[in-house]
Amino acid sequence: MSVLEIESLVKSYGDVRALDGVSFAVAAGELFGFVGSNGAGKTTTMRIILGVLRADAGEVSWNGAPVDRDLRRRIGYMPEERGLYPRMKVGEQLVYLARLHGLTEPAAAAAMEHWTEVLGVAQRRDDAVEKLSLGNQQRVQLASALVHGPEILVLDEPFSGLDPVAVAVMSDVLRAQADAGVPVVFSSHQLELVERLCDRVGIVKAGRMVVNGTIDDLRATDTQRWSVKFADAVAPPAASPPGAVVEPADDGGWVVEAADAQAAQAALAIAAQSGTVVQFAPIRPSLTDLYRDVVTSEEQEEVVPG
Amino acid sequence: MMWLIARREFRTRTFSKANLITSSIMLVLIVGGALILKPLISGGDGEPQPVEVSAETAALVPYLEAAATALEGNYEFVEVENPDETMVSEETAGLIVGQPTSPEVVLEGDDQSLVAVVTAAAQAAVLDSQVSELGGDPVEVSTAIAQATPTVTIVGEDKGADTGSYFAGLVVILVLFTVLIQSASVIMMGVVEEKSSRVVEILLATVRPTTLLGGKVLGVGLYALVQAVTLVVPLVFAAVYLDFIGELEIGLGALLVNFGVWFLLGFALFAMFFGGLAALVSRQEDLGAVTTPMMLLMLVPLYLAIYLVPNSPDGTVTMVLTQVPFFAPFMVPMRSAFGTIEPWEIALALTLCVLTIPLLTWLAGRVYAGAVLNTGGRMKLRDALRQG
Repeated sequence: MSVLEIESLVKSYGDVRALDGVSFAVAAGELFGFVGSNGAGKTTTMRIILGVLRADAGEVSWNGAPVDRDLRRRIGYMPEERGLYPRMKVGEQLVYLARLHGLTEPAAAAAMEHWTEVLGVAQRRDDAVEKLSLGNQQRVQLASALVHGPEILVLDEPFSGLDPVAVAVMSDVLRAQADAGVPVVFSSHQLELVERLCDRVGIVKAGRMVVNGTIDDLRATDTQRWSVKFADAVAPPAASPPGAVVEPADDGGWVVEAADAQAAQAALAIAAQSGTVVQFAPIRPSLTDLYRDVVTSEEQEEVVPG
Repeated sequence: MMWLIARREFRTRTFSKANLITSSIMLVLIVGGALILKPLISGGDGEPQPVEVSAETAALVPYLEAAATALEGNYEFVEVENPDETMVSEETAGLIVGQPTSPEVVLEGDDQSLVAVVTAAAQAAVLDSQVSELGGDPVEVSTAIAQATPTVTIVGEDKGADTGSYFAGLVVILVLFTVLIQSASVIMMGVVEEKSSRVVEILLATVRPTTLLGGKVLGVGLYALVQAVTLVVPLVFAAVYLDFIGELEIGLGALLVNFGVWFLLGFALFAMFFGGLAALVSRQEDLGAVTTPMMLLMLVPLYLAIYLVPNSPDGTVTMVLTQVPFFAPFMVPMRSAFGTIEPWEIALALTLCVLTIPLLTWLAGRVYAGAVLNTGGRMKLRDALRQG
């Protein structure tokens, strides 16, 4: 299977080390969410993938071969800082960009018509880009990344500044591209969206990929936690069952930390005796929790002198 | 690929409303100006003005016609019987009566040129009759007189510095300068537009920086060529129509070849140079900081060509500067117009310019590549070179 591999990228701007050995791989058909705080190195990584920037060290390869200019023409790219010719017409511009990527004139025109239709900007084809609203400009920007039928998609914050309808359209398009066998890498600060949409997530922090895995892997924890909810508030038992720790939750229920399923069942039995249980459900950390954990833990490490 | 970029540049520039309007205004100004100036300069070409000649003076008509041709007066002499000697008929320039040897001219206003024609005709008539009376042959005498012109040989430094060639050279380098400045600023604005709109990041993900810059220079070059043609063609038309070429004895063909060759070379040199430098700034507002010194720099070779060449056509400084690539596009056409340049000097200057272009392209491409993704303030040339 085709794989886009990013291996130990290093890049410094003067004294600032923007990337400090970022590595990850995205397989064909996979949606990879790239998250991290501002300045963590997401944009730099994407620019290096596109060859817009040169890495100081490290390599980007596709199917084992280094990504060269010829392949880069088959990548769809949406830069963080949106860029289109403001005074050029939408249709003309998309055809021009498609042709720069090697499409013939008729193929480019057909692709332009298809994508403006799909992204809902078909009626604006003859307008100059600068006359469009920001949201619509963003749709055109995505169209410019898709118009040449790319083999790989690299999108820097494609969702920022979009209304919910546009977010849904954009999500569907990305999902469809991934299902068609295109590896899709995109960065975003909208963590719920990333969690819902992506197959895999990578969190970068200070130029390093600190977490990388499928959503399920990331959310799996060593000790399973359960939330118990009652019809009325119930105080936790004085003694927890063996293998479990019961603590009060904010909403009057309990939080049970159980080493195994048996301990969880024992805790449930105690709960059923204590009051009317309305819900007993596993607690899985959201991506937001994970992200917060990653960021703060790193910061604590920085604070405590080694 | 480069051609695609060039084509886009060419189309957006050439078919922009502003350009179409400016070009048509220029065209109308030059052609219209020539059409309006023509009657003022040549004193009414077109239909010859009729002049009435009474029957008794009819013998003077051949002399009048000869004199009119010699003095470039456009008159048609019409014989009339018993004219009214107190008035000039409508639509005629005047009336000539009396003996052929002492004619009388009746005029509406003070038409000096007609008086001069009649004077010359009368003098010729008198001369002819006197020669005949003395037994000579009037034809032989006129031929002898016609041949009695001096042969002029100018010795000394002054040989090239005539107004005609100075004027011709000046027009060539001024048009060159105008077109170069214009296209250089178009290139710079184009580079900064792509940079400030950030579209350059998408473009650079597909094309090499040098290809992008090259396509830009090529496209704007074609545009500038169209501009130059819309400027030069009416100018040539005006010059031919107003008969400047004949009067100033200018070799039009050589002038145009000169312009063409040095337009291409000068364009390649300056456009590449400016294009690379434009990448150093990120916003249109900052462009002035880069353009102003460059425009001033461009004025130096222009002024040197204008002042140095007429005053010292063969001086050492002139000869050395002719070989400096950025000076050559102005020095060579000017010196060629003066006819004071040796063929080997032209060949050397051409060679040096042609050799400089790839070097400059490489350098400009490097600066461009290093600077074009830099946002924020102005970038230092050295940093751009290092990153490129």
